Amino acid sequence: MSLASHLPPIGIGQRLRIWSIIVRTGLSERIAYRGDFALGTLMRFLPIITQIFLWGAIFNAVASDAGAERDDSQRIGGFNFPDMVAYFLLTMIARAFSSMPGLASGIASQVRQGEIKKYLIQPIDLIGFLLLSRISHKLAYYVVATLPFAFVFFLCRGFFVAGFPPPHVFVAFLGSLLMGFLIGFFLEASIGMISFWLLEVNSLLLIFMLFSFFLSGHMFPLTLLPESVASVVNLLPLKYLAYFPAAVFLNKIPEDELATEMLIEAAWLTFFIVACRFMYSRGIRRYSGFGG
Amino acid sequence: MAIIDVQELTKSYRVYRKREGLMEGVRGLFHRDYTEVEAVRGINLRVEAGEFVAFLGPNGAGKTTTLKLLSGVINPTGGTATVMGFVPWQRQNEYRRRFALVMGQKNQLWWDLPAQESYRLHQQIYGVPADRFQKTLDELTDLLEVKDLLGQPVRELSLGERMKMELIAALLHSPEVLFLDEPTIGLDVIAQHNIQRFLRFYQEQRKITILLTSHYMKDVAALCKRVVIVAGGLVQYDGSLAGIIDKFSGKKIVTLQFADGDRPADLDRLGTLLDTHWPKVKIGITRADVPRVLAETLRDYAIEDVSVEDPPLEDVIADLFHQVS
Amino acid sequence: MTEPAEPQRITPLRETLTEPQTELPRVTTGGEWGRYLRVFLTFARNSLIRDMTFRADFIFHCISSIAWTAMNVGFYLIIFRFTSMIGEDTGWGQDEFFLFLATVWFINSLVQAFFMPNANEFSELIRTGGLDFALLKPIDTQFLISFRRIEWSALSNFAVGLLIAGISLHSLATREEAAFYPSPLSLLLYGFFVACGVAIMYSVMICLAATSVWLGRNQSLYDFWFYITNFSRYPMEIYNTPLGRPLLGLFTFVVPVLVVVNVPARILARPLDPRADWELPLAVWACVATFGCVMFSRWLFRHSLKSYRSASS
Repeated sequence: MSLASHLPPIGIGQRLRIWSIIVRTGLSERIAYRGDFALGTLMRFLPIITQIFLWGAIFNAVASDAGAERDDSQRIGGFNFPDMVAYFLLTMIARAFSSMPGLASGIASQVRQGEIKKYLIQPIDLIGFLLLSRISHKLAYYVVATLPFAFVFFLCRGFFVAGFPPPHVFVAFLGSLLMGFLIGFFLEASIGMISFWLLEVNSLLLIFMLFSFFLSGHMFPLTLLPESVASVVNLLPLKYLAYFPAAVFLNKIPEDELATEMLIEAAWLTFFIVACRFMYSRGIRRYSGFGG
Repeated sequence: MAIIDVQELTKSYRVYRKREGLMEGVRGLFHRDYTEVEAVRGINLRVEAGEFVAFLGPNGAGKTTTLKLLSGVINPTGGTATVMGFVPWQRQNEYRRRFALVMGQKNQLWWDLPAQESYRLHQQIYGVPADRFQKTLDELTDLLEVKDLLGQPVRELSLGERMKMELIAALLHSPEVLFLDEPTIGLDVIAQHNIQRFLRFYQEQRKITILLTSHYMKDVAALCKRVVIVAGGLVQYDGSLAGIIDKFSGKKIVTLQFADGDRPADLDRLGTLLDTHWPKVKIGITRADVPRVLAETLRDYAIEDVSVEDPPLEDVIADLFHQVS
Repeated sequence: MTEPAEPQRITPLRETLTEPQTELPRVTTGGEWGRYLRVFLTFARNSLIRDMTFRADFIFHCISSIAWTAMNVGFYLIIFRFTSMIGEDTGWGQDEFFLFLATVWFINSLVQAFFMPNANEFSELIRTGGLDFALLKPIDTQFLISFRRIEWSALSNFAVGLLIAGISLHSLATREEAAFYPSPLSLLLYGFFVACGVAIMYSVMICLAATSVWLGRNQSLYDFWFYITNFSRYPMEIYNTPLGRPLLGLFTFVVPVLVVVNVPARILARPLDPRADWELPLAVWACVATFGCVMFSRWLFRHSLKSYRSASS
């Protein structure tokens, strides 16, 4: 008998247990900061209030420019006033899925401080681990955020003039949210992976966040952009982080284009998964080559 | 009149008890448990001008809290204290211009800037006239041999060099009272020695009053004539270093060296056998019994050499801390 | 009998110190102001030295804040493609509104340059116990922690604000309809009320920072700051609807962030005379509110220090 027996290979059951531990730890870690949590979620709706008033004033002026009383017939970029408010509320949901605070900068700091070595030694896959902890953080967030979200949507139900979308559109909406989450994750993780080559990615990240804020549709519906700009922005994957799910829900994507659009989104997702994996393996090779 | 006069000083904190696990965390959203922690339970202390006093005590004994109370950084729960006639936590500018606090575990110099820039800031804050500032800075950098390092960003300095810089920052306004909290923590022996040497010299020359907390007995032995032991938030001992042994240790350590291969087996009847390293044996013997036991031993065995010592101070103090906590 | 613990031999230092110095000279009241000014200038200088050691960061911050401005300008240019005014008959046409935006930029850049890094650092000081050192200094603690750091790069936004204001003023002066130049008095009043606005924002920030003494980690409080001040970024007329009036009242009279930008921007965007009859009282209220906010924040700050517990190690 040898002194050190080999550990048994990790089976599916064992793996599931590891995953559940990662998810549970993430959950309780999040919930521990209770004050931040509840307050933060409600606060997030405050800018929506100003948005509503701002757009209300803009639509008033549009009506008055046309010499008409304000009603729902005035449209800006295909959106009337209730649509516009509904749009901003829906982008809140989309952002709740696709935003990844601290992901890229976290990877960058792990690379910089050499903590990344841990993943080379331990039998854990970095990307898998990050994805699981992110899922648990998001789950914890939804647990606490569902109530305030439901409350706000209930208050604002009047803005959803078209009512609830038909089932297949709603399924597409859910699909776009999930893919939005994954695109957000792999896109930011890829940016984080750049830190294997460039030590200071935080600047890059900030630029990315600025552009993403503007071009994802977080600030305004992308249909408001002048034709020439809009055609370029529509080719970028950023719209899946905010604009696209909201537009799907509000039926702003023509029925016959919906399936194609979803396929294009899936293609972008595949691209970012591959890019992220590829950069990680290249980065690790480069890192161990240095002897870090 | 005593320069530092502390009476029945107390400080307690309310601490939120964090809970383990997910469900407990969820419950914590709605309800919190607090516990009162008494860091200082009633300290009495009088220090005369020009004394160099050491605060000893286990972790969490209340040493640092006491220093912070005396610096006015935190407010007490009860009791009174005056330093140079000021109540510290009123934080009067006249008081704050006349003392300094150095903490070995925290730094106040700007991390990314050369130390001299922080010093200039101190000069402005404390209102030190330019010529006097320059003279003091020259003297201190000379004494601590850091003149060449003034222009280097603090983050590039070694721990020992940083501590010297922190000391200079604290002494630029020539404080009359100096509080030192673990000034040599984490330093190597040489750096510790340098800091001690400087402190001793500076204190002797300037006759300032210093209160020092430290984990290193060497700091204390080298610097302070008076030792105050704090444990459990109370003063347990106040007196000379040597007095600690007289008060808290009833034992002496007798080392016997036996002549040629003699290895008696009944030595534990003399006292507590501490260490056997033939032909040398160390035995702990109650103080009063030492003359009698020694006489018997010399009569009964063939002894080549004898020495009688006090137990090491570290051990006595460790025992004492252990008893209190 | 041997010594208890072997005494450490200390080699005497050759040098001797000069005679113990006498007390520091007292600072006279006139000198007090001078001392605060000198400390402030030293802070400014040290921050600049620090910024210059991280020059790439500095330049990058400037670039990103200019990019952010460009995006905002772009957003409003898009909006003005669809409408001639923000709100019906409010007078906030494109030129006037860009003056408003420039005012937002002035005030924000000043707050970001002088106070934001300090407020951020304050909760860090609480967490790490670094506030100890600030409390030891013979200088007003609020002053010390409010001005410690100056983020020079944030002033790039001030420059961008100047550019926006310049273009809008030029456009206002040369347009065909109702062209006008602001009078020297308007400019003077504008400067004064911008300063009031900065003081109000500073007070709000100090209040939030002070609460971090009680609450510990306070990331969401800073979010809170952004969200509250978010209300100040638009002309107050947009809240003038049945649902908006409670907000209008709240953010004018209780947390007076609405007067921060609106009062100065309104002064500059229109000729001084004629004015609606509620504008003068609003301007007077802005002065009162500034005074009240500063006093309240100072009271709250001092009060919070009493609860400071100083984290050990």
